[in-house]
Amino acid sequence: MKCLLVASESAEVLFYWADPEFEQNIQKQYGATSEEGQKPPAFEDSINTRFAPIIISCSSMIDRIDDCYTCFSTENGHTYVLHQFDECLYIAVNGDGDEKEEDLRRKIYVMKKLTEVHFGMVTLSSTLLKRELRPQDTDQRNRLWKKLQSLLGTYSQLREQDQSFLIEAVERLIHPTLCEQCIEFLERRLVQQINTSSERAGEEVLHAFILVHTKLLAFYSSRNASTLTSSDLLCLILMVQNRYPNSGDLEDAAPEDVENTSMPDIFYTPEPSPTEGGSGSGSGEGSHTPIFQFVDPDIQMAEDSLQTLEFPPPDPATPSRVFLEATIKEGYCPMMPHSMYCLQLWPGITLVLLTKIPNSQVAISVYYFLDTFTNLEKRLSEGQEGSNSPRSPLPLQDLRSKLDKFIRALGSSDVQTSQLQNAWAEFKSKAFSRGGPGVTKELLPWCRNMKTQLCGVYRQCFVTESVGNTQRLAPSLQDRALAMVQEKLMDWKEFLLVKSKRNITMVSYPVRFPGLIHFVYVDRTAGQMIAPSINVTDRSTSELGKGPLAQFIKGKVWSLVGTARRYLQKGYTTVTLRDGDYYFCYFLWFENETGYKLDVIDLPILADDSPPVGMLAWDYYRKLLRYYSKYHHGEVVKCYELLTIHLGVIPSEYVLQHCCQLARKLWEPSRIPLL
Amino acid sequence: MNTQGMQLARGLRDGKGRSEGARGGLPLKDESLDFPTLMAETGAPDPRWCSYFFLYDGSKVKEEGDPTRAGICYFYPKDTPLEQQELLCGQLAGVCRCVSELSCSPVRLLRLRRRKFAICMRGDFLWALGCAVEIPDVSIHGFLEQLIGLFCFYNGPVRQSYQLHSPEELAIQWGLYLSHLQGGATELHHIFSSLRTIDSTRIDPLLLLKAALILQACQRCSLVLAGCILYCGRVVSTQMPPDLTAKVLVNETEANNQDLKHLANGVTSPDSTPLSSSVTSIPVFLTPSELHALRCPPVDWACRSHCLPLQANQTKKSRLLSRTLSDTPAPESEPPSLDSTFRTPNSHQTMPCSTRSSLSDEMCFSPSPSLNAFSHTPLPQHHPGSCDQVLANGTQLTGSQEVWQGQGQDGSILGAPHGENGGISESHEGSHNRGDCYGDSVKEERRHEEDREVANETEPHGANAQSGEEQSHRNNSWNPNNSCKDGSPEDEEEESRNADNRLMRKEQGSHNEEESLSSEGAQKDEAPTCMSSSGASEPTLVAMTLYQHRVRGLVLALLVEPNFQSDAAAMEEVHHSSLASLNGLEAHLRSTTVGTPGPPGGYTFAHYDCLQNTLTTNLSGGAGSPQERSFVRATSLLHSQFSQSVTLQETIVRSAGAAVYGTRSAAQETYFLQQGATVRNSGVPNPQDSAFSLPSKARHRLLKHGVNLL
Repeated sequence: MKCLLVASESAEVLFYWADPEFEQNIQKQYGATSEEGQKPPAFEDSINTRFAPIIISCSSMIDRIDDCYTCFSTENGHTYVLHQFDECLYIAVNGDGDEKEEDLRRKIYVMKKLTEVHFGMVTLSSTLLKRELRPQDTDQRNRLWKKLQSLLGTYSQLREQDQSFLIEAVERLIHPTLCEQCIEFLERRLVQQINTSSERAGEEVLHAFILVHTKLLAFYSSRNASTLTSSDLLCLILMVQNRYPNSGDLEDAAPEDVENTSMPDIFYTPEPSPTEGGSGSGSGEGSHTPIFQFVDPDIQMAEDSLQTLEFPPPDPATPSRVFLEATIKEGYCPMMPHSMYCLQLWPGITLVLLTKIPNSQVAISVYYFLDTFTNLEKRLSEGQEGSNSPRSPLPLQDLRSKLDKFIRALGSSDVQTSQLQNAWAEFKSKAFSRGGPGVTKELLPWCRNMKTQLCGVYRQCFVTESVGNTQRLAPSLQDRALAMVQEKLMDWKEFLLVKSKRNITMVSYPVRFPGLIHFVYVDRTAGQMIAPSINVTDRSTSELGKGPLAQFIKGKVWSLVGTARRYLQKGYTTVTLRDGDYYFCYFLWFENETGYKLDVIDLPILADDSPPVGMLAWDYYRKLLRYYSKYHHGEVVKCYELLTIHLGVIPSEYVLQHCCQLARKLWEPSRIPLL
Repeated sequence: MNTQGMQLARGLRDGKGRSEGARGGLPLKDESLDFPTLMAETGAPDPRWCSYFFLYDGSKVKEEGDPTRAGICYFYPKDTPLEQQELLCGQLAGVCRCVSELSCSPVRLLRLRRRKFAICMRGDFLWALGCAVEIPDVSIHGFLEQLIGLFCFYNGPVRQSYQLHSPEELAIQWGLYLSHLQGGATELHHIFSSLRTIDSTRIDPLLLLKAALILQACQRCSLVLAGCILYCGRVVSTQMPPDLTAKVLVNETEANNQDLKHLANGVTSPDSTPLSSSVTSIPVFLTPSELHALRCPPVDWACRSHCLPLQANQTKKSRLLSRTLSDTPAPESEPPSLDSTFRTPNSHQTMPCSTRSSLSDEMCFSPSPSLNAFSHTPLPQHHPGSCDQVLANGTQLTGSQEVWQGQGQDGSILGAPHGENGGISESHEGSHNRGDCYGDSVKEERRHEEDREVANETEPHGANAQSGEEQSHRNNSWNPNNSCKDGSPEDEEEESRNADNRLMRKEQGSHNEEESLSSEGAQKDEAPTCMSSSGASEPTLVAMTLYQHRVRGLVLALLVEPNFQSDAAAMEEVHHSSLASLNGLEAHLRSTTVGTPGPPGGYTFAHYDCLQNTLTTNLSGGAGSPQERSFVRATSLLHSQFSQSVTLQETIVRSAGAAVYGTRSAAQETYFLQQGATVRNSGVPNPQDSAFSLPSKARHRLLKHGVNLL
């Protein structure tokens, strides 16, 4: 019984996601209170009615004592987590024990991240975001909600099944030779060819990567591109998975694929395996296609819940608009518009292109102005009025000239700027004219208005579908790109699909590390992880055995990660637990670039309701690194984590020795540059 | 009180800045990425355990026009502006009702950004206890349950109390209990909800024995159920389950302040009794399960002393010649639910010697004149429906069977028998986990069956609530009667033990319901008692009497049948038989008292006995050094994880400044921190790391404190 609800302060439902059980529960309760004979109300109305008192109480608590609810738990184990972002209240509910409080809070942050990737800086204005999340038009609303619901569903599923979404770090396919070849191919052939083509319609490929299910085979960024953050990359992987759901179980049901491909045992030490992969080729990818049209149950549910007709599937050649963090020479923008092209090479293998769109520098300017107004607001409300500020004079003149110029420039393109212009004229008359209040607190409402108008311009340029909808790489160019990569990887196809299931196997480990059952090694600086695969489906046999045992170990891994995070949140970097028949270890440490171990310092102790420790929704580790760097000036600091599970009978000295050796061994492959 | 008001106002106001994080939106710019609450928690915590406490009666606020204040039965701190009281009560009660309707289950915990509230919803009543967010959920719930338990113990059912007395009178009571629970004990005691006891390492074991013997002697009077001896607010010796002891203790401290005499139904020693003014009797209210536990302790509990492997604290105890519960400093009750399942295996430890051996102990050591008479104690009669058990050697009764009954009855304690959410599951949550850790599947099974029975017998509940309850029910309790019949080897051993015990059985059970019915006025009409067989009880409180005999700092507290007061002969006998020995004991204790905890010795430890609810630590109270603070912080974190994870046995956590080792078994939890040992290191896995030698260090160092971790 799960639900996630986004509501405005006036208790209007801005978005919801609920599983069928939750819907039933609500409908049942609603039915009990409504009159006989009446048609049951729409689910949206029922959920609104049920939650309204909570939402309203929440806002009155904020108004009256400036504190608000963060969590409820009931005696039968239901958990409610609440979090307010700006004027939107997020409520996540779990009634089946699958998710703990931390999981729910994480889900809320993931939801927020998804809206950011989806709407960009429109999310910075609550007024606009509310309108964006709940379009007036019913069809449009259904379409949007369905999309977000399906993304959330995919997230929940991946978090349950995929280690990289549990750990929140990117997992790479360990095959350096192929990886290197692919990177070279992407750079020299693919990206170059697209970027020099006349059919690119002003777009420019910044990043290109190949995914095999959730694992990264190769990643290439062009030289003038900003680094893609782990958080954004994970989010993109999530979107790709949502678009092309992984039908892992069904694939296992066609065992001949696996058998035909004589898989070389590849352990943590990567080896090239040039020929074997080819043996499975030509087994007719066409015949597989129907299998992959399997529809994820969550998506199915979402459709039902909205009671709408099928929407026509989007044209595959149409890119999705995504907003990603970028720091480029022109400036910084937390949500820079990009176009994302997902080209499916074969089921399970996807090529993703991220392109820069022509007018994207507008986003940088908008962010610059938003930031300036926010600072101004902050200083005004702190009471530093006029120019006698101790810090620095308010850069108002600078702002004035820049903004004038910006508005003029916008006017020359076909962006509607009248509202922004009006707001700006009003602001100027208040701030600069003699008759106006001058630069005082009274200016605050106009600052806010300016911010809203700026977000509005941003929305017009990048979010609204009507503008620039036709803007994209020509379909023929996309087809060519697809064909090129297909040709390149044709012989590897089967191998890659299997490899993605058994990236690293535990087979060789028991010999050198007797008693070791599982480990996860994470390079938090790069946002990458290495871990043996855990396959828990009945069909696939892993070293952990089949079914229940693997499931059990998987459960242990999942709970260990949760525990380790809870301690990390409270400032503990080393944790060992003897739990039943197992012995768990968790370590977090810092190194400099050459691998020299740096001293650990006292880490911040965070509150229970602080954002989740992870990389997907709120990059804890980035902040941690920044925090640590304060104590290590001028050094590049890297952060690593290691989790291990041993059999409990192994003496702890040996366990620690293993951890020590593992950390040393795994250090090497993790340093393959991501480029 | 005024300062409290100020604090409250500040508490409500401060943190204005923090909320910005949630409300303000914009800059995500790189530079602004910082931890929102960076190191916020490093300051010393609020010394007050509880920052708010209120009891709200929803039945008084039904109509639109009803003012919220009508429903506020009690609010702490009392000088909170009424407006704020109304805000908190109204909002919290409203939101809790809404959530509990959505989930078909009462709210248990509610957290705000800067405060958390343990919630107890029974019928129309809602209690909320607010405290700082750092305090573990387990502990705050223990606190709330204790508080409610205390109120009911001294005042009877809540609904009825509020019908009979004015809110002002009862407010004094709530205030007393609150200040008692918050007073004195260290933060560690709060975390474990453990009771304060005299430091048994500091006094002659013979004194403990003596105390135990005094209690035994008192029990020769058939009207005496069980007793305990307290000295200066600390437990010296007790025959009661930990949670009952805790209840008696609060009365003791309050009575010291002479406050209790003014209490609502407080009755000082009846005029008829020619006893000194140092003797008082007041009515108290026991749950049928508590009473049952006193009257017929479960059998297997005693037997287990033989068959279970010795646990760590055994060594400590074995130094004593005759170990009775009394030696172990008193358990303050964790919520009954928390340790109830544990208590069973544990309690055996507290009474290693057989009845006979304790008898002989008496012969040899007892300074009490009453001793000679001991062997003439009337042989016990069989109380119908009760299990054979002996209290003779000061043995403790287990609290385990209390649980379900206590729960079942809660609904009606509150005068809301039909409350759809019934009180039952409230305290079960906690015990659920503990129950699991005990991991005795057979027992579990039994309990489950038991619970079903019980469920059938209790009041009708809403369908939803019922299933919820039933679920949370399981694990919690087992019926001593049934359990004796199971053919497990343990039980066989029990049987033989029973035979032994039967000889010593006391007559205590022979008083029947009518007698107790005739007790205190308040109870008469509404309180049909039930004390016969465990399963069939009707959930009510049973009026009993608490007899106290005070010798300066020393108090002998006895739970007696209500008609004890009218039985002048019995009273006199008890009084006279114990008077001399109490005086002697007091003199001895006075000469050996106090003394600060010994020198730290380079390490800090805390050893918690889950069964007896006692805590041994070398940590002095107060804020202490940073290392001590981090020890307390780690301990509370580990304790709450132990309480959540059934299979977790030991753990080491290390931050840059401190490494703490925690280990637990079914009966105990131990925490250890090595001071000074430089923990500076890279944090990288390294077998040479000093943190990993903590377990062996703890084993060695703690031996001399009587803690055996081997």
